[in-house]
Amino acid sequence: MKALTHSKIILTILILGLAILPVILSDAPWPVQARDYLFGNAKADTGADNTVSAIYLGYRAMDTLGETLVLLVSITGTMSILINLGRHKVDEEAVTFSLEPEKLPRHSLRTNLIEVVASKLGPIVLLFGFYVMLYGHISPGGGFQGGVIVASGIVFLALGTELKTKLTNTIVLSRIESLSFLFLMLASISGVFFESGFFGNPVKTMQNLSPNFIILLNIIIGMKVGTSIAVMCIAMMGGSHDH
Amino acid sequence: MIIERILIFLLFLIGFSAIVAMRNIIKKIFGLNLMNAAVVLLFILEGSRIGSQAPILDDGITHMVDPIPQALMLTAIVIGVCVSALSLALAVRLYQATGSLDLDVITKRLADEH
Repeated sequence: MKALTHSKIILTILILGLAILPVILSDAPWPVQARDYLFGNAKADTGADNTVSAIYLGYRAMDTLGETLVLLVSITGTMSILINLGRHKVDEEAVTFSLEPEKLPRHSLRTNLIEVVASKLGPIVLLFGFYVMLYGHISPGGGFQGGVIVASGIVFLALGTELKTKLTNTIVLSRIESLSFLFLMLASISGVFFESGFFGNPVKTMQNLSPNFIILLNIIIGMKVGTSIAVMCIAMMGGSHDH
Repeated sequence: MIIERILIFLLFLIGFSAIVAMRNIIKKIFGLNLMNAAVVLLFILEGSRIGSQAPILDDGITHMVDPIPQALMLTAIVIGVCVSALSLALAVRLYQATGSLDLDVITKRLADEH
């Protein structure tokens, strides 16, 4: 019986491998037309130097809206599952090398090492996250990447600091998230009033489109992604931090 | 070029075999993440075949990679995070309901309840 399941598993993996191998090893030439078009026109069409930003905030901004919607639905589901788990606190077994005060239930996720490293690193990581977010139009980065770095900074702060800051309160973070989604909707329809269509760039200077709109969208998306991932992480670390 | 492809293929297969063979739900979710990472890497590799410079329009950039796979994979990464967060939350819920992360034990305990 056991051997039969093993052979079944190996057979399944072999079949999948044979099916996927031609896809991965395919040697078809990659088309260059799209790259050449973007090389010539992306700056004039959207105003961003970074062509990746130009694609996901300019040409395919509609898709980004759907993506943030997926994120919103996912965090709603995760939070509703995790909150309904109930609040009975289990005294988690702390790791063996932790000191005596660290074995208190409310310190179970916190050791001296984490406290020293994470609380000092948190503000720096937050600053770097905002840098990546704000310079997404001219350098590698953007709203999603910066948002994830901001989220890790918030998680560092939640892990490392004893004091209850507003930044690690899930209620405040969820409010920021909902507000930034509202701002994203407002920004998306703002182009309609300037004759550039849904998600069109409303800011024009001389001939060229200004990158200001891309920067605004990057900030909004960064806030949204950062707060939603931070909320999920804090909820999974056990505790809403709002006591 | 062929070595990267074989490594990506192996990564994908490791993820798939974790989903198929492992009994632990958390390991299955990790397998899902590995498959996601393999697909992302494959797309980035394909897009980088026609250039050698970062896709940022600046002075001196003449031979940039295709930015479209990168923009697509940005979406894929975010969706992957959503999927793994939701599935981990479901795993926590299952653990709370049945007291185990092993699929066989979970099925058995759920069957006993009815």
